[in-house]
Order: sequence, then C-alpha cells, then structure tokens
Amino acid sequence: MSKHSALNTFGRSGNPAFTRNFNLSGTGAIANEERMTLDGAVNKTGILLSLCFVGAFVGWNAPALTMPALIIGTILSFVTIFRSPTKVGSTAPFYAAFQGVALGGITVFAEAQYPGIGIQAIGLTFGILASLLFCYKTGIIKPTENFRLMIFSATMGIGLLYLVSFVMSFFGSGIGFIHSNGLFGIGFSLFVVGIAALNLVLDFDFIEEGAEQGLPKHMEWYGAFSLMVTLVWLYIEILRLLMKLRSR
Amino acid sequence: MNTFIFGLLAISSLFVFFKLGKIKASGKQLDRDDRIKWGRNAQKKVRKDPNGPKNLEEQPEQISDQSKN
Repeated sequence: MSKHSALNTFGRSGNPAFTRNFNLSGTGAIANEERMTLDGAVNKTGILLSLCFVGAFVGWNAPALTMPALIIGTILSFVTIFRSPTKVGSTAPFYAAFQGVALGGITVFAEAQYPGIGIQAIGLTFGILASLLFCYKTGIIKPTENFRLMIFSATMGIGLLYLVSFVMSFFGSGIGFIHSNGLFGIGFSLFVVGIAALNLVLDFDFIEEGAEQGLPKHMEWYGAFSLMVTLVWLYIEILRLLMKLRSR
Repeated sequence: MNTFIFGLLAISSLFVFFKLGKIKASGKQLDRDDRIKWGRNAQKKVRKDPNGPKNLEEQPEQISDQSKN
C-alpha cells in the first residue's frame, strides 16, 4: 500500500531512478546487466521469503521475541519505504527476518488458542498468492488505473480505520466491530483480506512492467519488498479472520 | 511434527512461487492500452490534457479577429 505512495513520492522528488528510468525513453543509458529482470525480482522475493521462514522458525521457538521483533520490523519497514529505492536491498532482508520472527511468535499464540490455525493461515496465504499469480499471468485479472485507484483508496481507508481504532484504544474505547466475531466483524475481515489479496496483483504488475521497461537493477529489491509487505499483511489478516471464525 | 509440516508447506510454496513467478505474463495481459503506467510520466500526460482544449478554443478567437479587419 504505502510502498506505492512512496513510489509516487520518490517520483515527485526528482530521484533519477524514477524520473529518468521509469519509461522506455530513459532506459537507453542503462547496460543490460544493470536492468531489472523478472527472474531477478522473483529470486529476490524468494530470498526475502526464505529469510522470513527462518525468522518464523526462530519466533516459533522463542515467542518472547515477538514484540521486540514486531517493533523493529515495523521501524525497518518505514525506513525502507521512505529511503531512496537504491538502498532498499540493504534493509529489506532485515525487515523480512524480523517480521518472520514476529509472525512466528504471533502464530504460536494463535496455535495455543486454536490448534491447527497456523497451517490453515499459511496454506490460505500461499494458496491466494499462487492463484492470483496464475490469474495475473494468464490475463484473467487485468489491473487498470481505475483498479489501482480503487485498491489504493480502500487500503488507505482500512489503514485510517486501524489508526483511529489504535488511538482510541489508549482512551479505553475503540471501534468494536473491527475485532468482534459477529457477522459484521467477519464481513469486515473478509473485505480486508480481499483488499490485501488484490494488492498482490498491483505488486505483480509493478514487477512485470518494471522488468519490461528495464528499470535499474535495484528496483528488483523494491518490487520484492513490496510483495513481502503485502504477503505479511495478508497472512495477519487471514489469521485474524480464522480466529474470529473459530471463536464463534 | 508441526515444525515438519510448516517446513514442508514453506518449501512447496517457495517452489510453486519460483516456477510460476518466472513465467512471463501472457500477451493478453501485457499488450493492453489500459495498463497501469507506474511512475511520474503518466501523471504528466494526464495534467497536460486539460490545456489542450483551451488552446483549441483560443484559436477561433484569433480567426474571428482577423475577419473583422
């Protein structure tokens, strides 16, 4: 979500990576081996996913690390988003590892309450990833500017709602239906899972077009990082949805 | 046991992602006019459009001035 807004911000800032190289006319000066490729972006996403799995294994065995890892992971995500895209490769792997530790710990807590929920959440997350990747590659889902606008608005709306709920929780209240296991709460969670999943399509399109246009090599890390952020969000939302369903 | 299942799921997911991810998208997906134009240049084009009709509107005024003379 915010990675796309960051992309626009970087573009407006006059960063050469975006202003000169984000169209075909500007890529002439970049050597072929310095250009973004589909294989490169997929490999880097694979590296981040592997680091996340290793982190999850650590978090699974040491749940006490959950909160520190979550805080560090969140800070690293903001650092990665707001830094220059050329430096994403130096922070994204740490982000993936720390988020992995946090997710491992969160899964342990969820498993303690509802056994078997972790497998279901991971299975659903990667099931959605694979099916949406298939739909995108075959052209069943065709993202357009209107589609991007719709998903971006919905994501911002959800983010704002979570922020308001978080602030209100400090004053002893909150937006009840977000966390409730009633029909409205489950419906809201389903909506959020849907939006998180459709964000994956935008990430695929960014990577595919970036490779097609021959963006600079470091944008492979940027694409991989944005995919990773969406996957982490999707996993957490699926876990929340399953917990609501199991608590009924 | 749980760790084993998680590991198996993780490895198989990675395998599927690597296999599917490296396939180039179909022509139906790539050869479209309404694709998202990621980046700044797309915004510039959109901003320029409103000026176009204004310029066209100004031209007839000049022609009408000439006809008066």
